[in-house]
Amino acid sequence: MHFSQFFRLADVMARMALRADATKFFLGYIWWVIEPLLYVAVLYVVFSVILSNRQPDFLFFLMVGKFAYTWFAKSVIQASNSIVAGKGLIGKVNVPKTLFPLASVQEGLYKQVAVFSLLFAVLIYGGYQVTVTWVYVLPVILVNYIMILACAYLGATLVCIVRDFAPLISLGMIFLMFSSGIFWDARDLGDPDKTALLLAVNPLAFIFDAYRQALMYATPPDMLHLFAIGAVFAGLLGIMVLIMRRASQYLALRALTE
Amino acid sequence: MNAVDHKLMMELRDVSLTFHSGRKSYDHGKHHVLHELSLKVYEGETLGIIGRNGVGKTTMLRIMAGILAPNSGQVIIAPGKSASLLTLGLGFKPELSGRDNALLAAMLQGSTHGEAEVFLEEIKAFSELEDSFELPVKNYSAGMRARLGFTTALMTHVDILLIDEVLGVGDAHFRGKAQAALRERITSDQTVVFVSHMADQVKAMCDRVIWLEHGKIAMEGEADKVVDAYQDEITAARKQGALERRDKDKPTKSAP
Repeated sequence: MHFSQFFRLADVMARMALRADATKFFLGYIWWVIEPLLYVAVLYVVFSVILSNRQPDFLFFLMVGKFAYTWFAKSVIQASNSIVAGKGLIGKVNVPKTLFPLASVQEGLYKQVAVFSLLFAVLIYGGYQVTVTWVYVLPVILVNYIMILACAYLGATLVCIVRDFAPLISLGMIFLMFSSGIFWDARDLGDPDKTALLLAVNPLAFIFDAYRQALMYATPPDMLHLFAIGAVFAGLLGIMVLIMRRASQYLALRALTE
Repeated sequence: MNAVDHKLMMELRDVSLTFHSGRKSYDHGKHHVLHELSLKVYEGETLGIIGRNGVGKTTMLRIMAGILAPNSGQVIIAPGKSASLLTLGLGFKPELSGRDNALLAAMLQGSTHGEAEVFLEEIKAFSELEDSFELPVKNYSAGMRARLGFTTALMTHVDILLIDEVLGVGDAHFRGKAQAALRERITSDQTVVFVSHMADQVKAMCDRVIWLEHGKIAMEGEADKVVDAYQDEITAARKQGALERRDKDKPTKSAP
């Protein structure tokens, strides 16, 4: 299958899945933005009302981190189960197995366009100036997307081979939610060394911080660090594509017989 | 048809497949599905595969389609040729319209988006779904679904068409039309591998038949001979089974 045809097929699969999903609910496509807003509302109640967080811009701070995290976590979890979920198709047509996680990731990407649009609107409405540093959000989004795709391919392969990886991946996402600075500030740990260590070892924490630096604090992110994260995950993605291509029939057998 | 005159399209050479099924499945453990199976498929012929349930017919077709790879042995396909399964209702989503589903199915079968768009009008016309083609598939009757499934499947354009029992589709009127279309496809120059346990269909459509038993070829040759031998065996096995059951039901002396 030619690459453009392959990509178009993943795109059509993603759009069809979104359309099918939207028809299931009364509110349809509006859920794309209601759901992340509800998540933010829940965290806001817990941290601002119950735990009395005094950070002045906490709601916006929370929104930036939570929206980016939800994009990552939901895409990776859904994509991890995508090969197994596609076994009906896999038993009938010889398609590249990379198609299934890619379609899941595209589904998440199209939803995220709406979510980020909402985020930018809320930030502007909330009094944040659109500065030149907002442009830095584009490479951050690109690196974030590459991370999602690489993790999606890895997760989908692992779950297809041994189903027990699925609950581990979900658990891993909860760990990342608590350890990546979504409702606390990675720069406010009271110890600059600790902050540096966290941003160095947890790429998600760096990405969430980079979104905030660019959008809220008019500061360009550390581009070298961003590039390094992008390169590592692009490398992982390349390796996963090679593995999944070579092991295509093995993955089909695992999907069909496990 | 004399197969020897024809070009070889595909060859399976000593193909074996064994797999371990998971603990969750009812028959977990090691499965030997195919044992050193060798066969040839020639250009333009219709090769029938018969055998009981579970002898590896579907697995063999999946290996031919490139979906699965054998543990040992070789699958050789003529250069530039492709093989795929004729599949009904590929990836159908009930919430989507017949048109959307047909588009997706055509693309999954290897069409580009542009080619698929062209097929859509053909699919709409052949399936006789008319305005329902634009409605969600969940509102379709079983007959309408079958029409859509069969028609999208028929749009598969490959060199070797692999068919896994699909002929009993839809209402009587459409079934006649579907069978005629499929027969036309099969009797044309299309190379076909046709799996079925309906003896009459196999006799009527196939030039050559292979009888599979326990993942091996039990018999191979002219359609009539092989199908008759297979039916004799099945009848004999049924009689044997009935006898054994009768013996079991007889009252036995209780152990001391």
